[in-house]
Amino acid sequence: MTDIQAAPADDISGYESLVEFLYLTPIGLVKFHVDGGIDMANPAAAQLLMPLSPQRELSNIYTVFATIAPNLRSRIAGFRAPVGQICDQLQLAVPGTRRVLTLSINKINQDTLMAVVQDITRVIEQELRIRDDQQRFHAIFDNIRDYAIYTVDLQGRVDEWNRSLHRLGGWRPEDVAGATIDRFFTPSPLGVWPELTVLDRARLRGTTEFDGWCTRRDGTVFWGNTVITALPDPEGKAQGYVLVTRDLTERKHFEDRLVALATTDPLTGAANRRAGESRLDEAFGFWQQQRRPFTVLMIDCDHFKRINDRWGHKAGDAALVALARVCRDSLRPADCLVRWGGEEFLLLLPDTGCDAALPIAERLRVTIAAAEVIAADPTVAITVSIGMADSGSSDRSADDVLRRADQALYSAKDAGRNRVMVQ
Amino acid sequence: MIEALAEHAEVVGARSLFSSPTLFDWLEAATPQEFDALAFGVVGMDSAGIVRRYNLAEGRLSGLTPERVIGRHFFTSVAPCTNNFIVAHRFEAENEIDDVIDYVFTFRIAPLKVRLRLLKRPGAQLMYIAVERRG
Repeated sequence: MTDIQAAPADDISGYESLVEFLYLTPIGLVKFHVDGGIDMANPAAAQLLMPLSPQRELSNIYTVFATIAPNLRSRIAGFRAPVGQICDQLQLAVPGTRRVLTLSINKINQDTLMAVVQDITRVIEQELRIRDDQQRFHAIFDNIRDYAIYTVDLQGRVDEWNRSLHRLGGWRPEDVAGATIDRFFTPSPLGVWPELTVLDRARLRGTTEFDGWCTRRDGTVFWGNTVITALPDPEGKAQGYVLVTRDLTERKHFEDRLVALATTDPLTGAANRRAGESRLDEAFGFWQQQRRPFTVLMIDCDHFKRINDRWGHKAGDAALVALARVCRDSLRPADCLVRWGGEEFLLLLPDTGCDAALPIAERLRVTIAAAEVIAADPTVAITVSIGMADSGSSDRSADDVLRRADQALYSAKDAGRNRVMVQ
Repeated sequence: MIEALAEHAEVVGARSLFSSPTLFDWLEAATPQEFDALAFGVVGMDSAGIVRRYNLAEGRLSGLTPERVIGRHFFTSVAPCTNNFIVAHRFEAENEIDDVIDYVFTFRIAPLKVRLRLLKRPGAQLMYIAVERRG
């Protein structure tokens, strides 16, 4: 210390800076002898090693490490070379804590050794967290039942097969190697599935979702919901996507049933009036925009009140069911039978003008007249009057066509029933 | 009280003051001259751990001058050797401390056995660590 005080002012401050530098070095440095005696240690070493020593001592390195590295003395004694590395970042867990230290020891000469001690608790914890996350993800990927979770690159190529793909679609590793996601989806009726557009949408918005038909390995399909989420790189740019596809077949069936319930007349199975009105509006839209004509048939059961009065409401209902069945049996797929109200039905024939519709209407009338309603004894014969009209260039809405069909129906009734009239 | 002060006057610089039950009061009342005349090191920190007082004896032990140290955080930027559960954590966690513990400082990068007196009182502006060689 006298030497220091005798030194010039610059040297004192240089010495102080050097001491301070070593004080603040965040890595523990220890210089010691083969017998373990410590002759130099910086504060970081004291910070890390003092808690290890029950006696709060820092005079002998073997005493300090007695608990966490009991074989240190023999390891150093066994190192015969005059110089060299005895251990390199040896990981040592501190009992009773979560702390993990690393210890590196270099032999400088026969009697002098340098140790470097670091606290890597945080690094280890982070590694454990990452490993936990990975295991958790694998557990999720592999064990979820009704979902497939998989990741794809920017071009939509599947990164890696996992069990969830097998469970949902029967896909095997060799099926998805290098495949893009279009393999998993059915081309929509409108054309090829726009899979890149879907990915682009996820890239722009971060996430996107759609429902559609999905393909299994065996070619069967199921109705699925898919959520696509972009996976950002550290700069926030998408580097790939994660897709979660869920089998909604059950729900789709359920929803279809609900839709049917909401749009169908429960007695006859024909469309109900509200559903019929929207089909009419749709047909009128095609007429306006594309000049695709349509024809409306108003079909009314003749003397329905008389059937009801004479044989009861049950017979009346049976007559309506029979009427609807006959109509449906002679319909084309695009035609739509609507229970318009009471004993009145509306038949919408899209892409059909009156000329083509007339023979259809006539055949219908004849078939109905020939049919017998079994619900009553004796069996009831029913006839219908039909008024029809097709879309015209001066019509402003479907109601205009309906009005003409109604007028035609009245004419048919006035003319003695069981006949077809065109307006 | 008069007796206590009289005792202080006698023991300034003497070792018995280090373990005196009235050390905290003495430090609070001491003039800068009396503070620097102590034979053992004393560091006074505010509640955030920033060094406010640093006496000459402490400077001689550490090799750091008070000018360099005052205004710095003691546990992280002056004496990181104490930044563990044995010392720093106690000042954080405990409201009142008056304890003497054996410790090893690494003044001038060599281990030095010391005895530490840890002093903290609720409401007081400063808390203290007194440092004395042992063994």
